[in-house]
Amino acid sequence: MKIAEQLFGQNISVKNANLHYGEFQALKNISIEIPEKEITAFIGPSGCGKSTFLKCFNRMNDLVAGCKIEGEFRIGETDIYAKETDVNALRKNVGMVFQKPNPFPMSVYDNIAYGPRTFGVRKRAELDGIVESSLRAAAMWEELKDRLDKSALGLSGGQQQRLCIARALSVKPKIILMDEPTSALDPISTGKIEELCDELKKTTTIVIVTHNMQQAARISDRTGFFLLGKLVEYGDTDKIFTSPKDERTERYITGRFG
Amino acid sequence: MMTNTKVKEKIGKSAFTAAAVLCIIAVAAIFVFLIVKSLPAFKKIGFFDFLLGDNWSPDKGDTYAGESLAGSYGIFTMIVGTLAATVGALLLGGVFGYFTAVFLAYFCPRRLKRVFSSVINLLAGIPSVVYGFFGIVFLLSKLSVIAPNNGSGLLATSIILGIMILPTVVSLSRTSLEAVPRSYYEGAVALGATHTQAVFKTCVPAAKSGITASLVLGVGRALGETMAVVMVAGNSPTYPNSLFNSFRVMTANIVMEMGYAGEVQEGALVATGVVLLLFVLVVNLLFSLVSKKTVRAAVKPKNKTVVRKKTFHGVARLRDRFGNIAYKLKTSYIGRAFAIGAGVLSGGILVLVIGFIFAQGLPHLLKNPKILYGKFEFGSENITIFPSIVSTLMAVGLSLLIAIPIGVMTAIFLNEYARKENIFIRIVRSAIDILSGVPSIVYGLFGMIAFVGLLGGKSSILAGSLTISIMLLPTVVRSTEESLKSVADSLREGSLALGAGKMRTIFKVVLPSALPGILSAIILSIGRVISESAPFMYTMGSVITATPSSYLDSGATLAVALYRLAGEGWYMQEAYATAVVLIALVLGLNLFAEWIGGRLRKKLKGTEQ
Repeated sequence: MKIAEQLFGQNISVKNANLHYGEFQALKNISIEIPEKEITAFIGPSGCGKSTFLKCFNRMNDLVAGCKIEGEFRIGETDIYAKETDVNALRKNVGMVFQKPNPFPMSVYDNIAYGPRTFGVRKRAELDGIVESSLRAAAMWEELKDRLDKSALGLSGGQQQRLCIARALSVKPKIILMDEPTSALDPISTGKIEELCDELKKTTTIVIVTHNMQQAARISDRTGFFLLGKLVEYGDTDKIFTSPKDERTERYITGRFG
Repeated sequence: MMTNTKVKEKIGKSAFTAAAVLCIIAVAAIFVFLIVKSLPAFKKIGFFDFLLGDNWSPDKGDTYAGESLAGSYGIFTMIVGTLAATVGALLLGGVFGYFTAVFLAYFCPRRLKRVFSSVINLLAGIPSVVYGFFGIVFLLSKLSVIAPNNGSGLLATSIILGIMILPTVVSLSRTSLEAVPRSYYEGAVALGATHTQAVFKTCVPAAKSGITASLVLGVGRALGETMAVVMVAGNSPTYPNSLFNSFRVMTANIVMEMGYAGEVQEGALVATGVVLLLFVLVVNLLFSLVSKKTVRAAVKPKNKTVVRKKTFHGVARLRDRFGNIAYKLKTSYIGRAFAIGAGVLSGGILVLVIGFIFAQGLPHLLKNPKILYGKFEFGSENITIFPSIVSTLMAVGLSLLIAIPIGVMTAIFLNEYARKENIFIRIVRSAIDILSGVPSIVYGLFGMIAFVGLLGGKSSILAGSLTISIMLLPTVVRSTEESLKSVADSLREGSLALGAGKMRTIFKVVLPSALPGILSAIILSIGRVISESAPFMYTMGSVITATPSSYLDSGATLAVALYRLAGEGWYMQEAYATAVVLIALVLGLNLFAEWIGGRLRKKLKGTEQ
């Protein structure tokens, strides 16, 4: 790939992050260290800022009009909000899977090849290889190898979401952000994606926002609990779910609010 | 590599912005050229003498340099004529359109709905010269039986204009009627109201502002209509004293005299255009106020409760009247009868217009197919419309080449780059609104002053195509923007999140999904170039005898040729045949648009592979 490789690491480090939407402050003074090749889950009630925070890591918030971000965001050693940082290179290194599956209205093949083509891969053989390895990594190759030229919109919801994961993998990201990736899916598809996460963390850092506390408990190594724009508590998932330090965390995970 | 992408992004953004700037320049140019050209006339004639004088008798010898003003240039009779014709059109087409819309939204069997929608679309697509021609050959001959004159005058004009504004009123009213929540209807029916009562007392009031907006838009259309009116109004510069006396509207004034105007007269005609433009702008301003209110009512919860209160008030009133069975019968059957009658009639009108012209024209066309491709010979019976077919095709090609890229790029700018409202974007939007309201004859005036003037004073297909291109811009921009808006943001995010730049996202993900809209913009534009005649009369010329060999030659489009043939009255058979060709083209385009639109949508949804 021809892209100028900026040095992006696999761990994320944030200091004193504040984010405003116009007058409204959505994130309040958040600092966090997210280790590499682990699954970190963000939990919390709706509107607590967890998705907003996630989208800071690949600068998707840049697209929101009136959004102002302060604080220090580093991936590896790179300050991702520095002037010289190339946003496109950042997003290539930090992939994202969205709440609702968003396959492009193209064939399965073209969906996966979209990313590599963006970064200058033109040779058919090379693209074929990337499509196959990405679909294999998303455990979809067997399902889809005979329908690569069919429209991706004809797939089921669960298949579409896994295709989106495969698409994110096609540019070999070092970190993958997942914004409630299973909230629109049935339990079986959810199970498949959770298995996939477990497989992916061997090579990739995963940060996942979820509404589903069981999911966070099942798959994540570390969990952060957000409330009203603040990171209330952050630590090993086992500890958060068995002996939370903060009373609000305990009330949330035992289902008393949210 | 990286810098390369950055440069591409920059170039792209500047190109899109430049397209948007062009739209602003177009509006500014129209105003500047018209005002500069009309100002001396206003000065010479006197502003109030011009507006309020009721004697229009131009003197060819009048010059600005000359001492005395022998001619008289008052357009008050025409202002009155324009308003009278507009009111007449509103009474006929507005009321009729309202009932047709109610019919379509609430009384039409589902299977017939699609047929009726196509009928209304077709009515909108028929060229105004064809309506005018139908007016001459059918309406005037029928009216002349009861009229003291040949049938021309206010009644004939109102009927023709009424038919022409019908599609505008119907489609917009219907949209707002269908946007009324089903729960209103259910609430009324649950209280014991009949279907008709629920519709007229609950659903229609809830859609009131949308219906009003549709009527205002219809008024705008009627004010600016030119060719159809010219053909049935009679055109003497007098007041419309009765239903059947020859009178003149402002647009007609321009078309009638521009071809042979003296110096002051020409200024006065441009000034007529300016007055007309002001009328239309005021109406459009009204429209945007009314329709903004509609949008607000639909979006803001605060206003929603107001609507709801009103609705329930209506329901309560209904309940009070339940004792009165006679009332119930009346609202039930009369309302239903009106709605169904209107729906059937508007279908009938289309069948009548098309059927009559085809019945008269098709035999001639089949008997003398040479009319389509033969060579024109002077002094013989061999009239041919081959030169006009060539001119039309040339105009279609060039104007699409100009309008589609600029329009699509402006739409991209508005939808992809201008998400934050600022003053520049507001100016671009108002420029497009204004462009869509400018009457076609005013475009013709502008094209004549600007493009024909710049190209050495000789009308040409180039000048005509440039003129119509500006006219096409708003349609292209809106249709494209509509389809860009319908592309889900999640697709853009998906592309950007993969590290793709904005340009790549637009060209590879957004535009392919927006293709149906762009295609419909192209088809609409083709239809427009084929149908319009007023913008071409004095920019492309109305010579129907010579086949153009380059873009610098002049040539009449088919619609202009129909006007010439029908107006001279000597070649009625040939006029019928031309009308048949025009209608067939419009019909074909409509069918093609529906077919390809359906196919593309299916393909994008992924159901067809």
